[in-house]
Amino acid sequence: MVADQTILFATGTALLFLGIAAIAISRNLVKTMMAFQVAVFGANLSLFSSGLSLQLECSTSGLCIGDTFVVLSILVGAAVEAVGLAIVVLVYRHYGTLDPSKVRRLKR
Amino acid sequence: MADEITALLLSAALIATALTALLAKKVSTSLIALFYTSIVLGIAFTVYGDALIGLLTMVTFAGAVSVLLLAVILITGESKLDIGAKWLALGLAALTTVVGVASFSDLFTGGSTSSVSDLSLNVLSFTWQSRPWDLLILVVVFSGAMVGVVHLLGAEQ
Repeated sequence: MVADQTILFATGTALLFLGIAAIAISRNLVKTMMAFQVAVFGANLSLFSSGLSLQLECSTSGLCIGDTFVVLSILVGAAVEAVGLAIVVLVYRHYGTLDPSKVRRLKR
Repeated sequence: MADEITALLLSAALIATALTALLAKKVSTSLIALFYTSIVLGIAFTVYGDALIGLLTMVTFAGAVSVLLLAVILITGESKLDIGAKWLALGLAALTTVVGVASFSDLFTGGSTSSVSDLSLNVLSFTWQSRPWDLLILVVVFSGAMVGVVHLLGAEQ
């Protein structure tokens, strides 16, 4: 029987790769931000299930090192999301489109 | 056996909501599915003994989804939320409600999840048990992100 931590880890990995694939093929910058959020969800779940299955060191109140990584990942993901969304709004204001292939400033 | 069934249910809900968020044609439908994904992820953390991480996930990503929703409304000019297929929204809501009630029932009935009760007694001590360098890094990252956002939005004007 497969352990529940393994199921959660597989789900987290699947979400992570799903998000990365959607970032790569997305034609809408808002959808790209959503795909990034899905990838962050997958990374958080993978970190959490790894901490569960590896039985990492815990403090007296039950907070483990794996949880600290998840908190770091959540907050850094939220910060990156804020900056990305600001860039999306600016790109739309400047170019009038959300299609990344039409934003040609960085292309040759 | 029950643990594996719970994990499978949560995994199915996570994959279904994430796929809906990524594959839906309308952005508003995607956002609602993304909100469900964050809720199910918070429930998963809570079920496996980390109520603090679960609540942090729900609160943080509810805010992120709200800001994303505002940006989408500003950009696309959608005046009302069209959630598309009603049966899909109803199914997701029912699934999330069932799993959520099942997972949070211990909190209301004083169940036997020891880590949840320990954390609820020592919520403020979490700040001091995290390593100080982690908190410093978080403050620096957040300050940098907010300064970047203000600069990006202010430069255009």
